[in-house]
Amino acid sequence: MKKSKDISSNIYSKSCSISRRDFLKKQGQAAIFAAAAAKAGIIFPRETFSSQVPYIAVAKGGPVEATRAAVEILGGMEAFVKSGQKVVIKPNMSFAHPPERATNTHPDVIRTLSEMCIDAGASSVMVLDNPLQGAELCIERSGIEEACRNVPRTSVRTMSSRRFFDKVSLDQGQSFKETDVMRDVLEADVLIASPVAKSHSATGVSLSMKGMMGLIRDRGIMHRRFNLSSAIVDLCTFLKADLAVIDATRVLASHGPFGPGEIIKADRVIASADMVAADAMTIDMFPWYGRDIMPRNVAHVLEAHERGLGRMDLENLIVKTVAA
Amino acid sequence: MNFRTIVQTINLCFFLFLLWLAAFPLVEWIPVDFFQRLDPLVFLGTFISTREWVWALVPGLAILGLTLILGRFFCAYICPMGITIDLSDRVFRPGKRNVQGLTSEQNSRFRKIKYFILIFILGTAMLGVSSVFLASPLSLITRLYGLVLYPALVLVGDTVLDLFLPLNLMLGLESMAYAELQSYRFATQWFIAFFFIAVFALVYYSPRFWCRYLCPSGALMALTGKYPLIRRKVSTDCTDCGICQKQCPMQAIDDDPVKTFHQECVVCENCVRVCPEKAVSFGLAHAGSTAKTVEFIPARRELIASALSGAGAAILVHTGIDRVKSDFVPGNIIPETLIRPPGALLEEDFQARCIGCGLCMKSCPTNTLQPTWFEAGLGGMFSPKVFPRRGPCDPLCNVCGRVCPTEALRSLTLAEKMWAKIGTSHVVKHKCLAWEWQRECLVCFEVCPYAAIELKRVPDISAPVPFIDSHKCSGCGACEYHCPVQGSSAIVVSPTEALRMNRGSYIEKGRAIGLELDADPDRERKPPDHLFDPDDPGDLPPGFSF
Repeated sequence: MKKSKDISSNIYSKSCSISRRDFLKKQGQAAIFAAAAAKAGIIFPRETFSSQVPYIAVAKGGPVEATRAAVEILGGMEAFVKSGQKVVIKPNMSFAHPPERATNTHPDVIRTLSEMCIDAGASSVMVLDNPLQGAELCIERSGIEEACRNVPRTSVRTMSSRRFFDKVSLDQGQSFKETDVMRDVLEADVLIASPVAKSHSATGVSLSMKGMMGLIRDRGIMHRRFNLSSAIVDLCTFLKADLAVIDATRVLASHGPFGPGEIIKADRVIASADMVAADAMTIDMFPWYGRDIMPRNVAHVLEAHERGLGRMDLENLIVKTVAA
Repeated sequence: MNFRTIVQTINLCFFLFLLWLAAFPLVEWIPVDFFQRLDPLVFLGTFISTREWVWALVPGLAILGLTLILGRFFCAYICPMGITIDLSDRVFRPGKRNVQGLTSEQNSRFRKIKYFILIFILGTAMLGVSSVFLASPLSLITRLYGLVLYPALVLVGDTVLDLFLPLNLMLGLESMAYAELQSYRFATQWFIAFFFIAVFALVYYSPRFWCRYLCPSGALMALTGKYPLIRRKVSTDCTDCGICQKQCPMQAIDDDPVKTFHQECVVCENCVRVCPEKAVSFGLAHAGSTAKTVEFIPARRELIASALSGAGAAILVHTGIDRVKSDFVPGNIIPETLIRPPGALLEEDFQARCIGCGLCMKSCPTNTLQPTWFEAGLGGMFSPKVFPRRGPCDPLCNVCGRVCPTEALRSLTLAEKMWAKIGTSHVVKHKCLAWEWQRECLVCFEVCPYAAIELKRVPDISAPVPFIDSHKCSGCGACEYHCPVQGSSAIVVSPTEALRMNRGSYIEKGRAIGLELDADPDRERKPPDHLFDPDDPGDLPPGFSF
């Protein structure tokens, strides 16, 4: 994720001086291609089956096993985290709720991800959020801090003071063009989005893309000044996670983000290096409010796809499902 | 450092330590309102104004009782206001330590003032109005430290964290680097600051000016401590040198240094220490040793005048338009923004008890509790109100009631507190992003800890819009706080339907009137409905679009 202010979010830039992982490059190229295809009105290309790595991984099982299995399908954490790199994990821990409420990411998912990053050689793992409710209560009740306590070089933190944020320009943003992002996120090499799968009254679902709102300082402006869905896409052009691991061990399928709502015990973890695809897959897999919802019914996913940020055309993507 | 300075230091530190502990989560092992409950005036004023025996305030009575034996020792050894004034006197006293400030004639005249203040306060209390907040030293000093100095300290601390962030990161002091301090901001802090600057500046006229001439608690203890059992005695070794008289911070020694005005003596024992002949001591009084004291108690007509002005003030409070005689009957003006904390007694009883010390405000983790200025009338100055735009009332916190020294806020269990409804929200449609601008906002829905907000579709508006189920709304103000609309919120709490009860269970009462105020994971509760029509394929759940 290392994106200093001057190079901004231009991850497609050839002159980008900071080396990114090959995987991401590939994905970036794919995105450019997809964007061009979309513009030209051409159908999205079917992913070549010669590709070694599936585009989307779905693992069935408990939070620990499913998380491991999903990431393994994508080539293991080593494909994303290189030795000595700094990792930021963005969970949902915005509510002072226990895991049963399905409003926060399951602590075991976050712990497993942290352990995998450390095993892959990460120099540090920071689990970061800017919670809606009292920070200490969120950290405590979500169980995430407790779960990560014994993982080496890993810290769970919330941030809201100005000193932890830097102003960045969202170069590829269309309306939302400037915001304050946590400095630790800007300095990280790898950004992993790890939301819980839940519905959201304003944006349909709250998954990896919507979750990026927890890394900036002023979220209100996204509601107030802009179209929220478009602003989320604008934000995700900059905060583009290198890996999305969606915790669908429990799915808050209605009355999110706060609940209480219908909770589906799904025992699934969905992962992809493309956060749009991971979100689309999650939307597709579960009934939301008991309804069959298509990814295109979620405005920010549709817009991200159309703008070439990622892909929601699941029919063209390789999805590998395993039971962990 | 003599014995008194040591005791003073310990007590001030202890006072500040307890004030610091007055926070969320609240510690169980010590009552953090210990000092506030030691003030005899808080005991007597509250007892008279409420006509109720408040057991929590009995320590104040005990202090009053002890003055029969020890005199006004409280002022010199325990009172944090007195200790603070001693400190500031040391700093600000101009020139050489000339302890005697006023002439003895001025001295005896000014001393009466504190009795006037005391009698005024008790006069208002007779008519059910508490004006203890005006001059009770513990109320005043808690307000200074809690509402003015503590926020300043936090600000300084935050600035330090700001400045040292790079260094802390470099040294790997992560917990320091990522520490965040909850910032506090309060109303009325200019007034409090200027009031104390004035009190401290009076050292220009005499040391401990406040304690000598103004403090009504001091006056109360002077009344009971006029002939203390243990008192100052001067032996025949006295040479009339007058050093003790000059060094007495209370000017409690007559021109004839053998004579003591015991009701003014705070037992600091300066006179013992400075006497070159070792002629002064404190000990059991026995017949014959008592020098005739000069009478400082004001004349009867002056006292009657003070009592009457207190009563008059109370009547003016009672007849003011802002006086709330009943929380329910029409014709009582309750300002829209006067939302009392959970567990507040009925307004009139609440005002009769609240001493405006600000301990609840200092303790409030979201800074939503603010001192009221004139909103509740002159009788309600410095009483706490909920200011949701500043912060929500956290359903998981019940600290304010537990720290209240006078039980103006009832001490509630967490379960009871969640049901202690403080008001009801309503949507200001013309400001609402969804109602007025058809935006997918619904932050209020997202943050409501009671799931009291329902989303519905209405004709001609593309976005689902918020409605409030008043039976589930506790008035906590999470919606008002988080509403992204600038200026005043598009969803605001008003005191409507606040549960104000002097006794009994909020849960029972709430259930009886059909409220549903379980804040946290209650799996029994049906989630809000009416979000969309499940049978209509043309209607999608909230947030989804075609």
